[in-house]
Amino acid sequence: MDRRNRGSSSSATSRVSNTYGNRQTSDNPRTGSGGGANDLFRRRSDAPLKRNNDEDESNNKEGDSADVSFIVGTCSSMCPERERVTRERLRDLAVFERLYGNPSKSSTDLAVKKFCRTLSAADVQASDVRPLPVLEETLKYLLSLLDSREHLFEVVHDFIFDRTRSIRQDLSIQNLANERVIYLYEEMVKFHVISHKRLQSCSGTSISSMHHLNMEQLAKTLTSLYNIYDANRKPDYIYENEAEFRSFYVLLHLNPRNGVMGEPLSLWFRKLTFALVKSKEICFVRNLLRLYRMGNYKNFLSRTASEATYLQYCISEPYIREMRSVAVQYINNVCYKLQPYPLLRLSQNLMMKELDVESLCHECGLETCTDPDGFAVLPAKQSTFRNPEDKFKVYDLIGIERIEK
Amino acid sequence: MAYVSMGEAHRRITEYLNRFCDAVSYQDSSTLCRLLSFSSNSPPLLSLADALNVFQDASSLIRQSDKFSEYGEILAHLFRSLQSYRVGNLVEAYLAFEKFANAFVQEFRNWESAWALEALYVVCYEIRILAEKADKELTSNGKSPEKLKAAGSLLMKVFGVLAGKGPKRVGALYVTCQLFKTYFKLGTVNLCRSVIRSIETARIFDFEEFPRRDKVTYMYYTGRLEVFNENFPAADSKLSYALQYCNPKRERNIRMILKYLIPVKLSIGIIPKDELLQNYNLHEYTKIVQALRKGDLRLLRHALQEHEDRFLRSGVYLVLEKLELQVYQRLMKKIYIIQKLSDPARAHQLKLEVIAKALRWLEMDMDLDEVECIMTILIYKNLVKGYLAHKSKVVVLSKQDPFPKLNGKPVGS
Repeated sequence: MDRRNRGSSSSATSRVSNTYGNRQTSDNPRTGSGGGANDLFRRRSDAPLKRNNDEDESNNKEGDSADVSFIVGTCSSMCPERERVTRERLRDLAVFERLYGNPSKSSTDLAVKKFCRTLSAADVQASDVRPLPVLEETLKYLLSLLDSREHLFEVVHDFIFDRTRSIRQDLSIQNLANERVIYLYEEMVKFHVISHKRLQSCSGTSISSMHHLNMEQLAKTLTSLYNIYDANRKPDYIYENEAEFRSFYVLLHLNPRNGVMGEPLSLWFRKLTFALVKSKEICFVRNLLRLYRMGNYKNFLSRTASEATYLQYCISEPYIREMRSVAVQYINNVCYKLQPYPLLRLSQNLMMKELDVESLCHECGLETCTDPDGFAVLPAKQSTFRNPEDKFKVYDLIGIERIEK
Repeated sequence: MAYVSMGEAHRRITEYLNRFCDAVSYQDSSTLCRLLSFSSNSPPLLSLADALNVFQDASSLIRQSDKFSEYGEILAHLFRSLQSYRVGNLVEAYLAFEKFANAFVQEFRNWESAWALEALYVVCYEIRILAEKADKELTSNGKSPEKLKAAGSLLMKVFGVLAGKGPKRVGALYVTCQLFKTYFKLGTVNLCRSVIRSIETARIFDFEEFPRRDKVTYMYYTGRLEVFNENFPAADSKLSYALQYCNPKRERNIRMILKYLIPVKLSIGIIPKDELLQNYNLHEYTKIVQALRKGDLRLLRHALQEHEDRFLRSGVYLVLEKLELQVYQRLMKKIYIIQKLSDPARAHQLKLEVIAKALRWLEMDMDLDEVECIMTILIYKNLVKGYLAHKSKVVVLSKQDPFPKLNGKPVGS
């Protein structure tokens, strides 16, 4: 069930139900049925898709759809030729773009279009914009770099971060939105989610700002994806991976104070269709939400370990950390001083190795010791508890190996 | 549509024109309100609409007289809107009404006193209602609904006109409430923020000056926003205000306030009487209240599931879900009371085994680790006073007040 091993994009034609081409059109003009109150934003069948500001630079003007025409890209390589030539001349080539390491020479196989804040759609030429099949090949190429062992992850991340942003820009300018595009957005979301996890184990001064920017783009990509899911929806239909990708929103908002994307959960749930509310993935995260808010560390951790998908796990990692230190805090606070808490038991409840639990207690400012029988224990009622700093160690989640790479 | 002769049509239109212009000249707000209230479907308006559809060239009538042509633009758009409205062409009706509203607001600006405020209210109300109807028409034709959004922009403009130092400013709250209704319907609830900020921080506004009816509506909507944002103390105070000052005869409104106030009150430990639920037809909360009283977790879960859709739509589901900890507290208290009856000396010791057994009776199977985890939470959040002796697998309750009441504060605060 490893959802990440999708077929290559060239076999995507079998999934295509809409043409891409000149305008984004839905092939089935939907006759409006009464529709649920949720379906407030169905589109006229020949109207271009309105996208809600996922890219600050994309310039879809609101207004009469009759006279809006979207660019149809004609650039046949990953990077428009004139950009590649310019960047070669200016020696502005990323490490991955250099031919045999030459900082002023690239090739059509290596150069990838950079993200750039265009001022308006009017300035953009069709020859600078890549059509859908080229974008698909580009993304496939970029994601293949993730396996590279030659470079530090931060360097790889940085490159893919920028170049996928450019892909999204091209998609947006051409107002593309169909199932193949959904697949691209899903892959890009995955990239940001996995980066979110992998950046935690990187060190360096720029890592925390990389992390923050990554979250920002994760939010934007996810928003775009949701808009496309919503755009041409048949009533009660959900796309193949939609439930999982919607579940990420809940996970990003477990803590009401840390809303990444703005809308409070109560409001967000109102808009979910029945099919989504009942889906396995959404039920799972709603359960996690309940457990998290209750402070039920044991069930939160055991459910996550046994039921989360890999991507859900990546997003949940900060909460896993939080629940663990909450557990230590609670136990230290409520237990009887004369009966210290065995670390072995604690490690089982927190789905951690015993040595990791010990380390966690120390990070929380608490001492551990050995009882007369030789077992490691956490004495209760210590007054030195503090919340661990943000950059503390990432501990394994026992039970998650079933889905690790 | 009734048959109307040309002569009769001419007469009706002229009569309306006279009424309108007299109302403005004599600052007769209540007449003006009646003349603009399309949604009332009053016989005079409907018969005027019929007349317009027969006569077809009302603009010539307007132009003929100086008295009428002074308000030529306003009246032309108004008539066009009414005509479209009458034949069920709601998108056209909206578009024309929007133009009318813009022109009317321009005139309104020029009138120094606030005499026409009630009429302006009618215009705001009508534009929202018409926009909703227009959007329905668009959706049913497979097109994208955008008129309510446009109405929202117009209402913001009206708000801007009223947000000044003069006597017109007391109208701002009414327009705010129309904006709330619009944004809530559209689901763009975050847009409420800017207008709330204006009302609550601008120095020109004194909240107490606004009419009571508008204050109640305002508190209702802002209270609901606090529920969405899970700020329970704030939600409590706003919704309680709305309840307190709401006209007791308006049962439907009271019910709407209670629908949101009850979950908030429950979350701070205040349980409504059964009569209240019955009188206002709030049966969806009956089982939840029972679950809290009995400490029956199974009943709570069941009630949440039964009305899941309704609770999710109104945005109170997450609030109600949180009541779980209070239900656990009640259950522990019951166990304690039972133990006290049979063995008072040891009643304050809650064995984890015993708790697990009680939960099994409620068809909730938990192992001792899970039970211990729950007890840990309850103690930490001060729902249970005592400590946990892990090795002995027992919770030792404090002799004094082992199950503190919430006292108006949410759990864990």
